[in-house]
Amino acid sequence: MKKVMLSLSALLLAGSAAAQDLSGTITVWSWDAAAKALESTIPSFNKKYPNVTVKVEDLGNQNVYDRGLAGCAAGGQDMPDVYSIENNEAEVFWSRFPNCFVDLNTKGADKLVKNFPAFKWTELTAGNKRFAMPWDSGPVVMFYRRDLYQQAGVNPANIKTWDDFIAAGKKVNAKFNNNVKMATVANGQDDEWFRMLANQNGCFYFDNAAKAVTINQPGCVTALNTIKKLYDAQVVTTGDWGGQITNVKAGKTASAMFGAWYEGTIRTNAPDQKGKWGVYLMPASKAGGVRASNLGGSALAIPSSSKNQAAAYAFIENALATAGGQVTMLKSQGLVPSLLSATKDPYVKTAQPYWGNQAVWQTILGTLGDVPQARGTQYFQDARQVMIVVQADYIKGRYKTAKEALDDAAKKISSATGLPVAK
Amino acid sequence: MTTSQPLSPAPRRARTGRWARTPKAPYLFILPYLLIFLTFWAWPIVSSFLMSFKDSRLGADAPYALSNWSRLTQDEFFRTALRNTLVILVIQVPLMLSLATVLAVALNSKLLRAAGWFRFAFFAPLVVGTVAYSAVFRLLFNTDFGVVNRALTGIGLPAVDWLNQSGPAMSVIILAMTWRWTGYNAIILLAGLQGISEDVYEAASIDGATPTQQFWKITLPLLRPTLLFCMVLSVIGTLQLFTEPALITNSGPGNATMTLGTYLYQQGFRSFNFGYASAIAYTVAAIAAVFSIIQLRLFGRET
Repeated sequence: MKKVMLSLSALLLAGSAAAQDLSGTITVWSWDAAAKALESTIPSFNKKYPNVTVKVEDLGNQNVYDRGLAGCAAGGQDMPDVYSIENNEAEVFWSRFPNCFVDLNTKGADKLVKNFPAFKWTELTAGNKRFAMPWDSGPVVMFYRRDLYQQAGVNPANIKTWDDFIAAGKKVNAKFNNNVKMATVANGQDDEWFRMLANQNGCFYFDNAAKAVTINQPGCVTALNTIKKLYDAQVVTTGDWGGQITNVKAGKTASAMFGAWYEGTIRTNAPDQKGKWGVYLMPASKAGGVRASNLGGSALAIPSSSKNQAAAYAFIENALATAGGQVTMLKSQGLVPSLLSATKDPYVKTAQPYWGNQAVWQTILGTLGDVPQARGTQYFQDARQVMIVVQADYIKGRYKTAKEALDDAAKKISSATGLPVAK
Repeated sequence: MTTSQPLSPAPRRARTGRWARTPKAPYLFILPYLLIFLTFWAWPIVSSFLMSFKDSRLGADAPYALSNWSRLTQDEFFRTALRNTLVILVIQVPLMLSLATVLAVALNSKLLRAAGWFRFAFFAPLVVGTVAYSAVFRLLFNTDFGVVNRALTGIGLPAVDWLNQSGPAMSVIILAMTWRWTGYNAIILLAGLQGISEDVYEAASIDGATPTQQFWKITLPLLRPTLLFCMVLSVIGTLQLFTEPALITNSGPGNATMTLGTYLYQQGFRSFNFGYASAIAYTVAAIAAVFSIIQLRLFGRET
């Protein structure tokens, strides 16, 4: 017994000795709520590794991408120790700069594969290499203002399809004299709504093998048609990222649809609206249809130029591969864990005061299993640029049908990427 | 004719030793600059030309081919960017230069008090950081909360969705550029005005020329070289236009305010397709060169 105790304490000592060995400073690049979320994991990290100083720099989403690509192009110049990367955009990095990031398998990530859902890894691996660790995911839900819905006589439980949503929107229009809309859609600035609806209908820019353009397939046609219907019924307004937040703060929209990470955005931007918000599943295209989709979701990678890779990996492991780390980020900024064990954490079932005491995380995570797969590929930005324009043109009436618009989009994406249009 | 002495022929130097007698210090002094010029200017120019023949998305080993150039000829986005750039060019440059000329004449007037203060005020927009001024323009033209729409609705006009509609978005870009660059051109034109001799005006007044006649018959013709300089600079600047559409409208809505500059950036740094971006860059440079030659030919002749 004594022997066991001795060897146990020896093991513990060895463990803490290794932890004490890690020292120095690591820099982390991230954006907005995600950066704040990573910051919230620092205390638990420093409990294990007191000698490592973590500096999280919030550069903003676009800037992280741009500076990362520039840094990789310059052979790893000016890169941080931990780099945040969106799943959709990840493949550009691996395919253009395969040497810019550390293969996390060499640090032990291969042992963690089963702890995450398989779909989260597809965009993060290339060949045998595993370039980033899954972080959050973006199950789409509809956030709504309980008070505004109630005043307009709308019951969210009855909104099951997009047609129901439009009918509700007409009630809201009537009640508030068109001063409150159902949602803000990015039209001309982004194509998020198209992506969310396309994914819901099992369609995306490219097929999952990244070999063909599939944007003119039936699921995508339905998606674009729905957006046009929303505009024609005048139940939505237009605005970019900033405009959407402004509308939420000003109470000009009664709902907002986004990946669940938007929970933190609403909560931190409109703290005075506590208790007024709630969540319901995104409406389906037809009765009984899929009411789940994914928008966004990110990962963390270690640039090869990092001088402190061991500490960087320890940080990533603590934040992403432990239920404690993931739940801390869920609590602080609403980042939806993709770590399977974290989705079973008791916190998920807790009623959230901001959301009118609804256990929103249970609702949101419940959709994860229904999310159809989709893949960004290295041509994500090319396809997105085409689609932003085609969507805006279609809303404006430049195409006769959604199918005609998407055939045109497919042709343009194909000529920009060299990938054939799927039959 | 006593001075008609034959010029003595220049002494012939031996071919050998010519280099030995040339002073080397000047070359040594310009050597650092030459090295920097070759590394950071000349080489990238050559390198990007070579790159325009490669599909850089395939990596460094991609074979040389014409794919980027053939894509350019049929790329609808490129045509949109070119068209937008030309629209801005045709509207904004003449608008700005006429404003700048009027402003310069006003600033040159002896009737104006505190001329120095006004000169500073009109030049000041250029000192403001581009990001800051773009952010301010975004706020001014915000549909729901912007002061411009507040003013419009205040006097009973309908509010305009400035940044989400193509026509209004374009006019915001043109307004912003005009606000920023008119004073700059006015200051250059003012320098040109001050180079015109007072005697000419005096003579004209004695002959009975009205101020309007003086402006059209004296000021404008004598200001032509300065105007030409401003015009060539503005045209080249507009062809490279990037900041305003990138920061105020983000090339949108759709591609309504996408310029050659933002499209190049988008291809280079969003899609990371440097080969294609290089092909675009060379096309822009060629267009700028052609425009400059045309302007110099049309307006550059000395009278």
